[in-house]
Amino acid sequence: MISLRGVTLVYPNGVRALDRIDLEIEKGTFVFLVGHSGTGKSSVLRLLYREVKPTAGTVVVDGIRVDRLRKSRVPALRRHLGVVFQDFKLLNEKTVWENVAFALQVTGAHTRDVMRQVPRVLDLVGLSHKSRMYPNELSGGEQQRTAIARALVNNPKLLLCDEPSGNLDPTNTTEIMELLLRINLKGTTVVVATHNQAVVDRMRRRVVRLDDGRIVTDEERGYYFLGLGQTQVLSG
Amino acid sequence: MDWGKLKFFLGEVGRNFTRNAGMQATAIGTVTVTIILLGAFLYVRGLMMHLSTEVFNQIEISVYLSESATPVQTAALRTTIARDRRVRSVQFVPKKEGLKELRRRMGGQVDTSLLTQNPLPDKLRVRVRTPEDVSRVAAHIAKLPGVSTINYGQDVVARLMQLSSVLGKIGIAIIATFVVIASIIISNTIRLTVFARRREIGIMQLVGATNAYIRLPFICEGFLDGLCGALLALALLAIAKVELMPKLSAALPFVRLGAASIDVWQLALELLLVGGAVGALASWVSVGRYLRV
Ligand SMILES: Nc1ncnc2c1ncn2[C@@H]1O[C@H](COP(=O)(O)OP(=O)(O)O)[C@@H](O)[C@H]1O
Ligand SMILES: [Mg+2]
Repeated sequence: MISLRGVTLVYPNGVRALDRIDLEIEKGTFVFLVGHSGTGKSSVLRLLYREVKPTAGTVVVDGIRVDRLRKSRVPALRRHLGVVFQDFKLLNEKTVWENVAFALQVTGAHTRDVMRQVPRVLDLVGLSHKSRMYPNELSGGEQQRTAIARALVNNPKLLLCDEPSGNLDPTNTTEIMELLLRINLKGTTVVVATHNQAVVDRMRRRVVRLDDGRIVTDEERGYYFLGLGQTQVLSG
Repeated sequence: MDWGKLKFFLGEVGRNFTRNAGMQATAIGTVTVTIILLGAFLYVRGLMMHLSTEVFNQIEISVYLSESATPVQTAALRTTIARDRRVRSVQFVPKKEGLKELRRRMGGQVDTSLLTQNPLPDKLRVRVRTPEDVSRVAAHIAKLPGVSTINYGQDVVARLMQLSSVLGKIGIAIIATFVVIASIIISNTIRLTVFARRREIGIMQLVGATNAYIRLPFICEGFLDGLCGALLALALLAIAKVELMPKLSAALPFVRLGAASIDVWQLALELLLVGGAVGALASWVSVGRYLRV
């Protein structure tokens, strides 16, 4: 599903955010990207949805050479993946329903599809009964579930989450993680960048650890801190 | 037709359009001023053109024959002039006719009964096909044998041509300036809307909307700005026409203003299109600049 080979990312201001990264992620897996703030987690995700281009190396997402993608093809790539952020990125003047439908409407979807897909994803995230509410009438967890519904409304095979629980309390965090897990079990590949130790330790999924723009460990059923469980360093 | 799609799109445009009322009003106002100037200019130019053709059509070359010219010579001269392809008609006016004509034209102002002898020579009245040829044709005729003098209101023609060309240039300069000002203000308005909606644009890009799609509502907004401005200008121009034209006609009785066949509907349509186009173009540029970043 995802393949990064020798990827280096230097931002225009000269910051070397990623340094010769190699990373393979199989279809249908659930992967945590962990590491201190500023180690390049968001940068990895940005490469995948083509917010930035690598300075060197190749980026392949679902068979698409993202590093070589022409600008005019970027919208097509983004329709095949969903992205979720810490700050939800919802439109406050639109209802839950409208926020979710927005992703379809602005890509020119038929009303028929909007009417079919929006209820499906709202049901999936458990917000059918709040579809007429506005974001500021919802809890943080509900807002994030709205954002997830929007990310999923195009039926993507890949869901990218950048600190999805960064603004949430533990209860809401658990709720969101369980939702992401359910989504993953339905076959969607899920990549979560986080520095929430509790979540990572409880879920026991693949953990890719970044430090200063490099992948230092990659464990199949890892913990947040290296060495808490049986560790299996695959690269570094 | 997918009505849901259309409704969503129009809703987005409408929301933008009503959000920034102050800026929107400024943008519309500048378009209004621009279109009023443009409309007034085009209208006045239409009148001027009408006037010019009226004057030009009345232009005739009076070819006064020398006293010594025999009827045979006169006939030969007439044929020569008539053969010139630039000439529309040649008419012989004997001196008696000439005097009558003069009396008619002067009305009661001149007492021609005092004249004991007809002072006018025989003449040929020559009309040309296109007004621009008049001076060249006149110069050509002047050199022919049997011609004494020639008169065609040289200075009137020259001044009229000069005036319309100068007015045309000034008008175009003023309008160009205002088109530029209106474009800048509209594109600023759109930039503000773009800025106010940058979150929304970011989300659109994230979920895979194309730049063309993102652009469209803004283009529509600019187009609406231009169209509203033009409509307002048209209303004001229409009022001005109704109020001013009778007074103008009264002040200039010898000019048959009413006879000017200016197609006001076509002019109105053109002004609306100009307004809309200026708006759409200005916003195209300003959103384009944002999206490229
Ligand atoms: N747009 C940017 N321009 C310049 N430097 C950036 C930009 N985004 C991130 N960085 C830098 O790149 C490094 C990695 O950032 P990031 O990928 O956001 O890390 P993380 O998500 O792990 O906190 C940091 O040093 C950060 O300052
Ligand atoms: Mg980050």
